Amino acid sequence: MENKRPLSPHIQIYRWHVSSLVSISHRITGIINIIAITLICLWVSLIFINQNNHEIINLFLSSKIGKFIILGLTWSFSFQILSEIRHLIMDLGYGFELKTSKITGLLVMFGSLILTVIFYIIGKNLI
Amino acid sequence: MVQINLPKDSEIKKGKYFKDKTGSKNLRKVNIYRWDPSTGENPRIDSYEVDMDNCPSKVLDILNKIKNEIDPTLAYRRSCAHGVCGSCAMNMGGKNGLACTKPHEEIDGDIDIYPLPHLKVKKDLIGDLDGLYKQYQSIEPWLKNNSKSETNEIIQSKEDRAKLDGAYECIMCACCSTSCPSYWWNGDKYLGPAVLLQAYRWIVDSRDEERNARLKKVADELKLYRCHTIMNCTSACPKGLNPAKAIAEIKKMLATANI
Repeated sequence: MENKRPLSPHIQIYRWHVSSLVSISHRITGIINIIAITLICLWVSLIFINQNNHEIINLFLSSKIGKFIILGLTWSFSFQILSEIRHLIMDLGYGFELKTSKITGLLVMFGSLILTVIFYIIGKNLI
Repeated sequence: MVQINLPKDSEIKKGKYFKDKTGSKNLRKVNIYRWDPSTGENPRIDSYEVDMDNCPSKVLDILNKIKNEIDPTLAYRRSCAHGVCGSCAMNMGGKNGLACTKPHEEIDGDIDIYPLPHLKVKKDLIGDLDGLYKQYQSIEPWLKNNSKSETNEIIQSKEDRAKLDGAYECIMCACCSTSCPSYWWNGDKYLGPAVLLQAYRWIVDSRDEERNARLKKVADELKLYRCHTIMNCTSACPKGLNPAKAIAEIKKMLATANI
């Protein structure tokens, strides 16, 4: 009898809002960033081994998929930075009112897009 | 563990459709989660067409109307109907709340009603809250004072009393805890917003002398730090309280206190 009881639906039916979206995106971008950093380290060590490797990776990164990955990573790092600042402020005990958390969440979302553009332009002009 | 899909025996099937018999022009479709423990079948969604011309303003009124006029087999908890007892907590329009204080006007389109999320369902909209009550018991929610006298008042200043505002009003309806994804995945260990808000209420009570012991008790990776400030709890609370802030305050106390 006890075991036959069904589990009520949860994530399937619960409505998303700004704060929960920022929180889940923070986790996803966090995982992506760790993988990205590992790959970047690998890339750098490959250059040390053989200069030809640099050419191959460069060729890949200038392709359409490569550019998408670069832009995506720029966004995911931008998002992580802003969202982490938001969480740090929350750890200090501020910004828990519903309205404030919504505004800061929206700031993180749109701010990450703006930051992506800024980082991309800076990066492009440096290289 | 994170489990996105429902187990096989919990998958929701299409249920019955109750067409309107009043001939009213002002109809709304209400979809309600149903599960009958006596049949052994999977849960289903029954749809009801409800005449809104003769229905008061809250979601609970719709449920009462359906039970009284359309389908008496529908089961749900309710008692005070004034947002005080916390019995009619459920998920309406994708958000937890009290059916008796939630105006159905606030829900767009069809009105979807489910039991509180991620609970074992006893019947229809009734979830099993035993686990949550056990956790509530575990924080020992009563005043602990070593004073020998049983007749002397324990004096509390107005400022100290004000610290309890926003915590003592909790009616333990479980809207917050069952809205929390962390509580869904780790509800067996993580205490959840409702219980942590109560833990906070006793930690900050100036009359309580077990403050450090209470803090030590919740200072646990799983019991407390599974809160990732998703804020579902605060946005769900029908009493307008802020469990997320209370949890942050406990974390802050643990980070700064010497225990």
